[in-house]
Amino acid sequence: MSSASVESVIEQKTVQPAWAGTDDPWEAFRQVEIITLELTQQYRHSLGKYSRFFIELANKQFYGTRCSNCERVYTPPRPLCPDCLHITGWTRLPGTGALMTYAVMHFASEVNDDVRRMSMPIILAYVLLDGSSTLFPHLLKADPQAVHTGMRVQVAYADAPVQHPIHLMHFVASEA
Amino acid sequence: MAERVPVVVGVGMTPFAANREDCTVRDLAVEAVLDCVRDAGLETLAAVQHGLTSYESDHFNRQMTLGAILHDTLGLNPTPNVRVEGGGATGALALRTAWAYLQSGLCDSMLVYGCETNGKRISAQTANQLFALSADVDWEMMVGGTYTAFYAAMMRAHMEKYGTQREHFAHVAVRNRRNAANNPIAQKPMDITVADVLNARPIAEPYTLLDCSLLSDGAAAMLLATREWAAQHSPRYAERPVVAFTGTGCGTDTMRLGDRYPHLTNFAGKRAAAQQAYRMAGISDPLAEIDVAELYDSYSGVEIQAVEDLGFVGEGEGGAAVVAGTFDHGGQLPVNPSGGLLGRGAPVGATGIAQAVEVVQQLWGAVNPARQVADARRGLTDTHAGIGSICVVNIFERQD
Repeated sequence: MSSASVESVIEQKTVQPAWAGTDDPWEAFRQVEIITLELTQQYRHSLGKYSRFFIELANKQFYGTRCSNCERVYTPPRPLCPDCLHITGWTRLPGTGALMTYAVMHFASEVNDDVRRMSMPIILAYVLLDGSSTLFPHLLKADPQAVHTGMRVQVAYADAPVQHPIHLMHFVASEA
Repeated sequence: MAERVPVVVGVGMTPFAANREDCTVRDLAVEAVLDCVRDAGLETLAAVQHGLTSYESDHFNRQMTLGAILHDTLGLNPTPNVRVEGGGATGALALRTAWAYLQSGLCDSMLVYGCETNGKRISAQTANQLFALSADVDWEMMVGGTYTAFYAAMMRAHMEKYGTQREHFAHVAVRNRRNAANNPIAQKPMDITVADVLNARPIAEPYTLLDCSLLSDGAAAMLLATREWAAQHSPRYAERPVVAFTGTGCGTDTMRLGDRYPHLTNFAGKRAAAQQAYRMAGISDPLAEIDVAELYDSYSGVEIQAVEDLGFVGEGEGGAAVVAGTFDHGGQLPVNPSGGLLGRGAPVGATGIAQAVEVVQQLWGAVNPARQVADARRGLTDTHAGIGSICVVNIFERQD
């Protein structure tokens, strides 16, 4: 009698791990069946109190937030100053700055089409934007051989459609 | 307080492997718990007063409410349960939680078991995306960032500030994989050279493939109790040295590296965790007073940063100390005798517990003689989440 066909079955086999030895207490449970299991999720994801940052990127403007109590400027923005627990306000920055550290990536998290379209390597850059107190993480589009800590960089805005609004910008080396 | 300081009644774990195809996540937990129950000399779990389930990811395990499922599977109903999650620090945070439950008097015995299927059930790309969910999802992750890149950027800052060399952290990658050769249940022992590490495929420079730790399937368990409970219920308790859980600390730091500016090189949360644990355990000179340590070598360079933040050496001195052999087997403070995350493996919810299992077995003198640290009386585990966003340091010591 032939067994019924199951579409999700990838494999049936007997697994005998080397460490189980000759006196295997699980001997009766070594036949395994492996199936495909799918789990797809899509979110209606609100960017919440961070939204204006992304909305302004589409206008080719770079915004951080400023704490009116301690004057620290946060990029990425923070709606709440973690030091003072004061609610911050939006502040526009020129989008120029200096590279403080970076990683040359040969493997990216392919979380959206914007990343999937890139060819490796790419540079994850941590940039101290002029007027900010923190480093902003984003991709620096440059030849890895020509990149060094301390170099001047600036925000470049996308001129083609993007999937995720964070890709409305990236960094490039400053012009002269 | 002192009379309720938890003691270790039993330990257990599964082999760590890239693909435990013979097991579901609950099968793995069962194997580790059975190993622990037998180690404690118990027949059943009937006398155990509380369970603690340690796992990080509903996504990797494709299952929520593992606490309920595992209590059912293990015959622990209606014993109370609590689940603990703290990213990469999950297992260590679970043990710390057990310390508090036992000290509070809420229970006199607690079975802590951690499990995770981070292995080959999903592609490396999917795994990377799921791990990225533990980063700040709207920012670094969406530009394509990976944890390897976050750590690499941190290490570059360390190299530029302190002159740390790629050869320094390659030494860690070589040593921990060699240590794994003396651990029969390690996932990937390797006999490699510093040149092999430097010449391996770059993942996020300065890190190559061989600087990166493993994705694993596995589970680990530890039964903790008051001395009174241990003496009453475990026939093995009197047979071996008493090992007490004498210190625990926890510290946190920002999710994103850039928010730590200008302090980019080291783990401030780990420093805070270590100071708390040392105060509790009465340690003032950790390099001299700790005999063995399992450190969170998620990437080879992280061990260099850890030996600094744990106060074994000064900040910026880790690279030189590592290549001098200070933390090798036979050195002043042997580190990662199990093989660490680089050689033994890292099923997240089990990792911090497995580190403690190795330390406790070292203190009992019960590991393979090839990796046994002579006369070890006090040991430390260091475990963290993210790039040090949640850090836990736990200390165990012999009290005979």
